[in-house]
Amino acid sequence: MNHFPQAWGRPRDDIYGHYNSSYLQTANPTQHTQSPVVTGTSVVAIKYKDGVVIAADNLASYGSLARFTDVKRLRKFNSSTVLGFGGDVSDMQYLDRLLNDLDVKENYSHADDEASQLSANNLHTYLSKVMYKRRTDFNPLWNHILVAGISSESEPFLASVDLLGTTFSSPSLATGYGAHLAQPIMRKLVPDEEAVKGISKEQAVDVVKECMKVLFYRDARSMDGYSIAVISKEGIEIKENEKLENQSWQFAERIRGYGTQVN
Amino acid sequence: MQPTGMLGEDGIHVDMNHLKKGEVNLGTSIMAINFKDGVILGADSRTTTGAYIANRVTDKLTQVSDTIWCCRSGSAADTQAVADIVQHHLSMYAVTNDEQPTTQTAAAIFQDLCYDNKDQLSAGIIIAGYDHRHGGQVYSLPLGGSLHKQSYAIGGSGSTYIYGYCDSYWKENMTEEGGIAFVKGALSEAIKWDGSSGGVIRMVVLTAKGAVRHLYLPDQAYEGPGKQPKAV
Amino acid sequence: MTSIGTGYDLSNSVFSPDGRNFQVEYAVKAVENGGTAVGIRCKDGVVIALEKLVTSKLMKPNANKRIATVDRHIGVVSSGLVPDGRHFVVRARAEAAEWRKIYKAPIPVHSLADRVGQYVQAHTLYSSVRPFGITAIVGGWDSETEVPVDGQVGSGPSTGAGGKKEGGKHGGPFLYMIEPSGLFWGYYGAATGKGRQTAKSELEKLDLAAGTLTLEQGVKEAARIIYVAHEDSKDKEFELEMTWISSLSGPTKGRHEEVPKEIREEAERLAKKSLDDDDDDEEEEKKDDKMEE
Repeated sequence: MNHFPQAWGRPRDDIYGHYNSSYLQTANPTQHTQSPVVTGTSVVAIKYKDGVVIAADNLASYGSLARFTDVKRLRKFNSSTVLGFGGDVSDMQYLDRLLNDLDVKENYSHADDEASQLSANNLHTYLSKVMYKRRTDFNPLWNHILVAGISSESEPFLASVDLLGTTFSSPSLATGYGAHLAQPIMRKLVPDEEAVKGISKEQAVDVVKECMKVLFYRDARSMDGYSIAVISKEGIEIKENEKLENQSWQFAERIRGYGTQVN
Repeated sequence: MQPTGMLGEDGIHVDMNHLKKGEVNLGTSIMAINFKDGVILGADSRTTTGAYIANRVTDKLTQVSDTIWCCRSGSAADTQAVADIVQHHLSMYAVTNDEQPTTQTAAAIFQDLCYDNKDQLSAGIIIAGYDHRHGGQVYSLPLGGSLHKQSYAIGGSGSTYIYGYCDSYWKENMTEEGGIAFVKGALSEAIKWDGSSGGVIRMVVLTAKGAVRHLYLPDQAYEGPGKQPKAV
Repeated sequence: MTSIGTGYDLSNSVFSPDGRNFQVEYAVKAVENGGTAVGIRCKDGVVIALEKLVTSKLMKPNANKRIATVDRHIGVVSSGLVPDGRHFVVRARAEAAEWRKIYKAPIPVHSLADRVGQYVQAHTLYSSVRPFGITAIVGGWDSETEVPVDGQVGSGPSTGAGGKKEGGKHGGPFLYMIEPSGLFWGYYGAATGKGRQTAKSELEKLDLAAGTLTLEQGVKEAARIIYVAHEDSKDKEFELEMTWISSLSGPTKGRHEEVPKEIREEAERLAKKSLDDDDDDEEEEKKDDKMEE
C-alpha cells in the first residue's frame, strides 16, 4: 500500500494530468543556526589527594575580538561541586539557570544533611543526559564542561561532558586548547589514579597555574586574568580575579631576525 | 539560494550576520555608560540597505519603560519587534506587581527573547536603565543571546574601531559633562572610520530626574545643539 | 445552617438570593477543623508554626512535613484538607518557577501571594471544581540587597552603580494569609485552623505592628501560641513543626529552613513552662475561692 495520502484514489494521471502535490510540502526542515558566538576558551582541572583544582580564564571572545574580560566561567553549584564551562557563554548561562532550578527543587524537601544533596557525580550524570538530549535534537548546547567536586563516596571527582554528550573521566582533564597544551603537563604529575594519592593541594595548584601560563602563551583566545577553585571535603575556595605570575619574556631580547641576522 | 558569508575552519557554514534579502541593517555605532548620577546612552543615526543610506536621521535609542532604554543594532525589524515586546512586558509588570520594573527585569526579558529565538534573530542590544534602588546599570546582549553586566558597553559594526579609544579614556564615576564628552568622543571616532555609521549623535541621559535627550550635529562639529526639550 | 435544603448550596458557581456562595462557606468549615497554624512577621524574619495533629501512632515522628518550601525564600503552611494544601503548594512552586523563567530572579512574596490568590479564587467560579478546603499562610523574605540576574556574568563598575538613592528600604519580611474564597491580606501575625481564635488573641498581645519583635523571640512566641491554642483539643497528640526565614545577615541567610532542633526544643520547653505557670495561677485562685467559702 502506498502511504502517501496524495496517492490515494486520486484522479488518473493519463486523463487529468499530473497531480500537483506541491501544497502538501512543508517549506524546509527546521534548522538551528548552531555555532557558538560569544565563547570562552580552555578549562583545566586536576585531582589531588583530598580534592580537585580547576581553573579557567575570565575572557569571553567574539570571534577573535577579546570582547568581555570579566566573565566568570567557574560556576559553583553547591558546597561540593564547581563546573568549568568552555564554549558558548549564552548556553553556559542557560545551563547555570537550569542547574539553579534543579537546586531549588532539591531543597523543597527539608533535608538539611549534606549527604542528601546532589554530589558531583550525580550532577555530571544529569548534565550528560541534558547535553546528549540536545545534540539528539540537532540543537546542541555548544559547551565543553568539566565537573569538579566530591563524589557520593566522598572521593575527589573529575569528569567532562561535551556538546555531543560524550563523557570522560580522568585524574586530569582539560577542554579546548588545554586538551593539547595542558593535559601533557598535568599527566606528567598524575599519570593514573594511583598517583593522585601522592599529590598535595599545593602541587596541584602549582601545576594548574603553570598550565594557565602555557595556555596564555600559546592560545590566541586566552587572557592573563583567570579564576581558580579548590574543592575538597572542607568546602570550596574560589578566587575569581587572579593574574598570571612569573611569566617568561626576557629571552626576547636575545632573538634577532629570523635566521642569520645578528643585529 | 547560494549561501553567503564564509566557511568556518571546521567546514561548517557560519553566517550569524546573515540578513534576509532587502532587510534593513542597523550597521551601527551604539554605546551606553555608567556615570556618577546614572547612565548615558548614545548612538549614531545611519540606517543602510547595502551601501544605500535608507535613513540618515534614525533614532536607535528606544524607550521600553520610564527610565529603562535600549540601543538597537542588527536587523531593524528584529530589534524593533523585540523592543516592542519588552515594552509590553514591562508595562504589564508595573501594573500587575504594583512596582516599577528594574533594569535587571528588562535585561532578563530581553535575554529570554534573544536567547530562545537566536536562530531567527540578528539583534545586538545594549540595555541601560536607572532605578532608585540599583542606580544606573548597563547590560550588553550580543548576538548569541548571552547577557553581560558592564561598566560601559559598546556595540554595532562601528564599535570595533573604538575599543582602544574607550579602554584608554574610560574612567569610573565621571560627571555628566565628562560622560557626555566620552560618549561623543567615542561615537565621532566610530562614525569617522565606519562606513556603516554616520549622521548625527543622539544621546539619552537617565538619572533620578528622569530621561533627557541630547542631539549633536555633524555640521556643528558635534558641539550642539545639545540638550533637547521634552516632547509634548 | 439555614441554607440546607434551599438548593443554593449545591453548586459552586451559584449565588444564593442574598448573595452568598455556600460552597465557599462550607470550605471554611473544613479549615476550622484543621490543626492550628500561625505565622509571625518579625522585624528580621518570619516564623511559621504548625500544630500537626498525630493521626496515627504508626507514623514516624518528625516525618511527613506539612510546612513546604516554595523557591528558596518562601514557606507555606495550611490548615484544612491536607491534599488541598499539597496541591496549593504544587501550584505555588510552579508559579515561582515560572517567574524565574521569565524574570530570572526570585519571585517577590507579594507577587506569589497574588498569583496563588487568583488561583484559589478561580476555584470559586466554576461548577466543575470545588473551592480549596484550606486557609494558607505564606511567609517569605524579599532580599534587602541587590539581586543579580540569574546566571549573570560581569559585574559593572568597581565603584558601584551611580545615582543610587541611599537609605531606601528594600525587601524584608512578608506574611500573607489566603482563604478559601481567594481573599488574601498581608498580616503582622496570622493564624488559622481550630485554635485560631486563641492564637489570634495571643498574637494581638504581641504588638507586632511596632516592629520590635526579633526572630528569636518570634520563634518562642510561635511555639507558645501553638501550645496555648492546643489547650482546647488537649486529648489529641501533636507535633510542633516550625520553620523560619531570616534576613541575609540572620541565621538562614534569606532562605526558608526548618528551625534547628535545639532552638525548637528550647522554645517548646519554655512554652510548656509558661502553660504550667498559668495552671498554677488558676489553681491558686481556686484555692483562694475555697477559703472564702
